[in-house]
Amino acid sequence: MTTGPDATTVAPSGGTPVGPAGAQEAPAPFGLGASLMPEDASAKTQGTFPYAADLWAEGLLWAAVLRSPHPHARIVSVDTSAAEAMAGVCSVVTHDDVPGDPMHGRRVADRPVFAKDVVRHHGEPIAAVAADHPDTARLAAAAIAVEYEVLEPVTDPEKAFNEPPLHPDGNLVRYIPLRFGDAGAVGEVVVDGLYRIGRQDPAPIGAEAGLAVPRPDGGVELYVASTDPHADRDLAAACYGLEPERVRVVVTGVPGATGDREDPGTTIPLGLLALRTGRPVKYVATREESFLSHAHRHPTLLRYRHHADSEGRLVKVEAQILLDAGAYADTSAEALAAAVSFAAGPYVVPHVFVEGWAVRTNNPPSGHVRGEGAMQVCAAYEGQMDKLAAKLGLDPVELRMRNVMATGDLLPTGQAVTCPAPVGELLKAVRDEPLPALPLDTPESEWLLPGGLEGAGEPGAVRRGVGYALGMVHMLGAEGADEVSTATVRVHDGEASVICAAVDTGQGFATLARQIVQEVLGVETVHVLPVDSDQPPAGPSARGRHTWVSGGAVERAAKMVRTQLLQPLAAKFGMSAELLTIADGKITSYDGVLSTTVAEEVAGKELWATAQCRPHPTEPLNDSGQGDAFVGLAFAAIRAVVDVDIEMGSIRVVEMAVAQDVGRVLNPRRLRARIEAGVTQGVGMALMENLRTSRGLVKRPDLTGYSLPTALDAPDVRVVKLIEERDVVASFGAKAASAVPVVTSPAAVAAAVRAATGRPVNRLPIRPQSAVAAPGPQG
Amino acid sequence: MARTVTLPASLDEAVAALSAMPAAVPVAGGTDLMASVNSGLLRPAGLIGLGRVNELRGWQYQDGHALLGACLTHARMGRPDFAALIPGLAAAARAAGPPQVRNAGTLGGNIVTAAPTGDALPVLAALEATVLLLGPEGAREVPVSHLLTGMDPLRPGELLTHVRVPLLHAPQTFLKATGRTGPGRATASVCVVLDPARRGVRCAVGAVAPMPLRPLEAEAWVASLVDWDGERKLDPEACTAFGEYVAEACIPAPAPDDGSAESGTLSAAVVHLRRTVAALARRALGRALA
Repeated sequence: MTTGPDATTVAPSGGTPVGPAGAQEAPAPFGLGASLMPEDASAKTQGTFPYAADLWAEGLLWAAVLRSPHPHARIVSVDTSAAEAMAGVCSVVTHDDVPGDPMHGRRVADRPVFAKDVVRHHGEPIAAVAADHPDTARLAAAAIAVEYEVLEPVTDPEKAFNEPPLHPDGNLVRYIPLRFGDAGAVGEVVVDGLYRIGRQDPAPIGAEAGLAVPRPDGGVELYVASTDPHADRDLAAACYGLEPERVRVVVTGVPGATGDREDPGTTIPLGLLALRTGRPVKYVATREESFLSHAHRHPTLLRYRHHADSEGRLVKVEAQILLDAGAYADTSAEALAAAVSFAAGPYVVPHVFVEGWAVRTNNPPSGHVRGEGAMQVCAAYEGQMDKLAAKLGLDPVELRMRNVMATGDLLPTGQAVTCPAPVGELLKAVRDEPLPALPLDTPESEWLLPGGLEGAGEPGAVRRGVGYALGMVHMLGAEGADEVSTATVRVHDGEASVICAAVDTGQGFATLARQIVQEVLGVETVHVLPVDSDQPPAGPSARGRHTWVSGGAVERAAKMVRTQLLQPLAAKFGMSAELLTIADGKITSYDGVLSTTVAEEVAGKELWATAQCRPHPTEPLNDSGQGDAFVGLAFAAIRAVVDVDIEMGSIRVVEMAVAQDVGRVLNPRRLRARIEAGVTQGVGMALMENLRTSRGLVKRPDLTGYSLPTALDAPDVRVVKLIEERDVVASFGAKAASAVPVVTSPAAVAAAVRAATGRPVNRLPIRPQSAVAAPGPQG
Repeated sequence: MARTVTLPASLDEAVAALSAMPAAVPVAGGTDLMASVNSGLLRPAGLIGLGRVNELRGWQYQDGHALLGACLTHARMGRPDFAALIPGLAAAARAAGPPQVRNAGTLGGNIVTAAPTGDALPVLAALEATVLLLGPEGAREVPVSHLLTGMDPLRPGELLTHVRVPLLHAPQTFLKATGRTGPGRATASVCVVLDPARRGVRCAVGAVAPMPLRPLEAEAWVASLVDWDGERKLDPEACTAFGEYVAEACIPAPAPDDGSAESGTLSAAVVHLRRTVAALARRALGRALA
């Protein structure tokens, strides 16, 4: 059994002496580079895997949350007496019942647990109820009488600057003026553009859910699908007025997370109800509540001006970027830093001037969603590159090739790109890939037209377009975030186990941890223990952190165990441990004198080690947007092929060809799955995903109103090339792979629709009326 | 939740159960109804499950008409044998949602729910179908359009049992725009039905208004152009003109109520909807005559 490119990459670093193992039958591949399956894959596909919504405790109560029906209102009074009087209701909590800090927030504590005087977005929690039946809890929540004085909502981020403050912290969450180069520089050719990006929802397959169980010591245990158990524990403990040690967050299976999962606005009240009633309390959000409560991708308005010389080389990029942060800060400051820093894209631009703002509005809250900031600017700068190519009469690929960034070039933040940046090679790979065949317009040919299987598509009205985009994202937290993770590896009874608080959100960390230990120790059976906040912190599952930071910690710990294992052996044979090699479950010495199996050596022993990984520190952007803010960067090139019915404006993405800079392939099958998932999410952003609001009220917060790509909407995803140029500072030399396809795909689809229709396409998701064109020869 | 759930085994039992408790709601596929119940929009006093009533499931022939049971699922109507009978309804059934919904959702449910986006509705309107209602005061037959417009609504205790559809033995087309490739609700849909015996072209537009709309003048005009005894072909220009005629008729310009609005300037959304309906109607007619 061979699996893709691992034949060369699977070999451990250093010269591997090839033992006399040639003639044996190949064992099931394990270790780095193998396509190991997740341990829980079969339980998840069969539906037996317990998620938080499936948990049960003896005598549990059900929670319901009362949410604001208004986007902006003053709360005159809250009367809970009717709810409390209802049979079966055990507790009703409001702002006055929060014993500790009444405010919380992932970065800035600016969000109340329960709205006190004012509600700032549709769906903001006002009170929570625990009752003996979910319907009783919902009815009781509905029976809480809240008197509102409805205020005019601020929904246009452009007007937020001049409106009275929506929050004591003011309406401006962050402003970054990035200045790089000479402000007076001008190019011979100038193109302008205005771009609008909609509000994408993470739309996890499983809505938020949790179970809170009171502890005998007065603390509480929260069973939730947290992606950052320690941060969520600290937030909750502060609000309960408890020491962090008395709150334990136990991570259940995560049913889908493309952003920060588990809205603390729901988990904190859940624990509060358990503390007050002394009984377990369970909560399962409806799909509507899920849409209203969790954070969305920042809707963004971008104004761009690109200057180039007559040869098409970029001279200057000017941009204004306005992020709609919603009512609370959350991670908007970080999203803005990414948007401003990557505003010019993976291109060499000598002069860059960007102003970025994140402002408060009464729209649904924005926060961390895969590729935040970078995705919005990618759609805009790639739109500008297409415009520039059209104006110069150049091929869009040729124009991009003339400007691509490489290792050693400077980002507009003044930071040098030290990691591999094979941008030109990626673009070449997708350009040189043969285009998918045009379908034949015959009744026999199976051609899925835009509009679908039984749709109205007509071959004569369909135009095919090809578009290209280049995208980049940063990995790990930026701007001085303390990135650290701790892992413990233990070998006992011939098996290994890993304790690390890094949550496997579906990105495959648990599988990777098993592969790392297999690789280093040669032990095939590796268990990754469930995660809770009593373990040492590993940080959030976001921005491709865990492959690097937690994977690095697991590797170090495993190597320490390996030394403990090999040291006595080496001493016995009078050689240093470095001369021993573990491969294929066998320990061999360089000269072949010693040959034993791992199983034999670990039998009856218990070895363990704990290690930390802390990548090199970063610094915040200064007042002119300069600084070494990022640890690492990842790049991708995507070519989109679309069919557009130019009369109806319906679009089908036929194929997405992806070339990605991955550093090193650690698990080929998981990597492919991550790229396919990312591309599909990006196609959703490009064509349909937009949580629409009307004057701050979310319209149709359900999966009928918010369409997601189905199997028919998802294109063929072709992974054309994976460039394995190891990043020397990253663990294993690998780069995070999930976010960059999300960032790049929407821009590629927009470029292809532009090519098919000749329309500007400056709004995502692309509306049908923006994709209609006059019939005529394709141009 | 509903306090009583009845599972009648025959049509008579079902009618009796509904007469006994007119506030109860009959449920067949439940694809629309249960979504309303689950979201708390509907709290029926009782449910009458129609799944065991065999009389409502199949279809039979009756003097040039097909009598379709109200519990025919979309999946069943989409099959080739049904498509040979009433191709327009089969096309609409195949276009209605994902397989899970088509397997459960029924023809009768589509009519009674009367959602503007109901895919079967424009086809039934174009076919000038009638529905058979059975209630405590006996049976009656009502044109489907009278039911949908509320001219002659369902009376308390009445059950929609069958749909009577004329068999026209001529091409019928149903086309739907959803704005996506996967299954979705219609933003506009058009059904075109040829009736060679009466030398008529009938057309209905769905999803653009609360009920399907019939552009009667456009129908009459285009029917007069068709050579019914010959090849039944039309110039592409005539099809285009028909499409625009239909779009103009079904999507009127918004009334200039704010005084300042100059007539003639339409919002981008209205322009796009008109363009979509015109393209659908042109394609539907072209394919029916091809």
